[in-house]
Amino acid sequence: MRTALEQAVQLVLSGDYQLINIISVTLQMSIPSSVISLILGVPLGVLLAFCSFRGKGALVILNRTLMGLPPVVCGLLCYMLFSGVGPFRHFRLMYTIPLMIIAQVILITPIVIGNMESFAQRITPAVRETARGLGLGRGRTFLLLVSETRYQVFSTYLLGFARSIAEVGAVSMVGGAIAYKTNVMTTAIMNYTNRGDFTLGVALGVILLAMSLVLNLTVSLIQGRLSR
Amino acid sequence: MIIRPFTKSYGGAPVLDFPGASLPEGEVCAVIGANGSGKSTLARIVAGAMASDQGRPVLEQAGPVGYLPQRPYPFQMTVEGNLLLNAPGGRADARRRAAELMEQLEIAHLARKKAHHLSGGETARMALARLLMRRYALLILDEPTAAMDIRSTSLTEALVDRYRRETGCAVLWITHSLKQAQRTADTVLFLLRGRLAEAGPMTRLLSAPTTPELRQFLDFYGA
Repeated sequence: MRTALEQAVQLVLSGDYQLINIISVTLQMSIPSSVISLILGVPLGVLLAFCSFRGKGALVILNRTLMGLPPVVCGLLCYMLFSGVGPFRHFRLMYTIPLMIIAQVILITPIVIGNMESFAQRITPAVRETARGLGLGRGRTFLLLVSETRYQVFSTYLLGFARSIAEVGAVSMVGGAIAYKTNVMTTAIMNYTNRGDFTLGVALGVILLAMSLVLNLTVSLIQGRLSR
Repeated sequence: MIIRPFTKSYGGAPVLDFPGASLPEGEVCAVIGANGSGKSTLARIVAGAMASDQGRPVLEQAGPVGYLPQRPYPFQMTVEGNLLLNAPGGRADARRRAAELMEQLEIAHLARKKAHHLSGGETARMALARLLMRRYALLILDEPTAAMDIRSTSLTEALVDRYRRETGCAVLWITHSLKQAQRTADTVLFLLRGRLAEAGPMTRLLSAPTTPELRQFLDFYGA
């Protein structure tokens, strides 16, 4: 373990090209996919909490089911759609970062929707009743509800990013873990471990954890400052 | 202001059967009754925050209705921001009105504080000030002083009285405090297990209750 930690530090300090490439591909995939999921999922989650309509319960259950979608199933779906025999083969996205992002968005968006829906659901009756008492219309009440969920967006983003950065199944299926192209930290750890290079695998794991820690601290600091 | 007769049931079980009432302009009508008698349900339905079995019992044409729920929600912005949220007209006038209301409820020093960091009593005062930024034909207050100390209660009663005189609005004041009803109201609605058991001028109801339940209620609360 000590050797692995030393090697992790050495790898970072040496500016190893392969390592920098792996980190770069990881971030190129994780940041856009988590941000896109947030942009899609936050309004949808709040809307789901705010609106009452026939079939809402079924929609909530469907979303909760999709929250547990196995990544390999998502990878398989994307593979079938975008591979040489799939209907979207003309986009030529197989084994590219954009397809890895698409797979991640499919996985993360239900999580964002579910998280926001369950938070907004808790405050919706009170917000709605107060807004009604003030004579505010439905549109303004919805905007107020969105505004009331703004601090929850931070923790939801962290959840989405954590899922994105830690995911292996879907990204290895649609990305192929091609060195210097689609190899992200999780797939690289798997490859190193399969080759018996545990030290390098552990070193990458430590770097992955450190990245997650830095992001968590940064987001928590911003959230703390804004909510004061 | 006329409240038409309505009923409310949950899953087929009736929880409120209200025969209707007339609320004259500029008068305060207290709604009293024990816990679970249907006071808050009545307030919600008249305010339009909950549907009765027959729809809304107050006509939209009757004028705007302002409603202060039992647990008003403090929006995550400053106290002044909360008040300005409900401001009609220009910004300068709204700020002046907000400052006046905060002064009258002694929360002016909290103007820049985030509303979700206020205490229960401060939140209740902020919510009342926020509501009174506008003029209403009917004002519904659901136990506005439940979380307040004696001084804040007195400030609230004085402010509502001033607002009523200035705007001429009718006030429906839900309370479980008989003393407060005596101080503030002209007429009383006494609810008992989801039904209107007695209604009439405050003085008559206090001196000559016709139902044993109201007599018992008055005895218990020491009227």
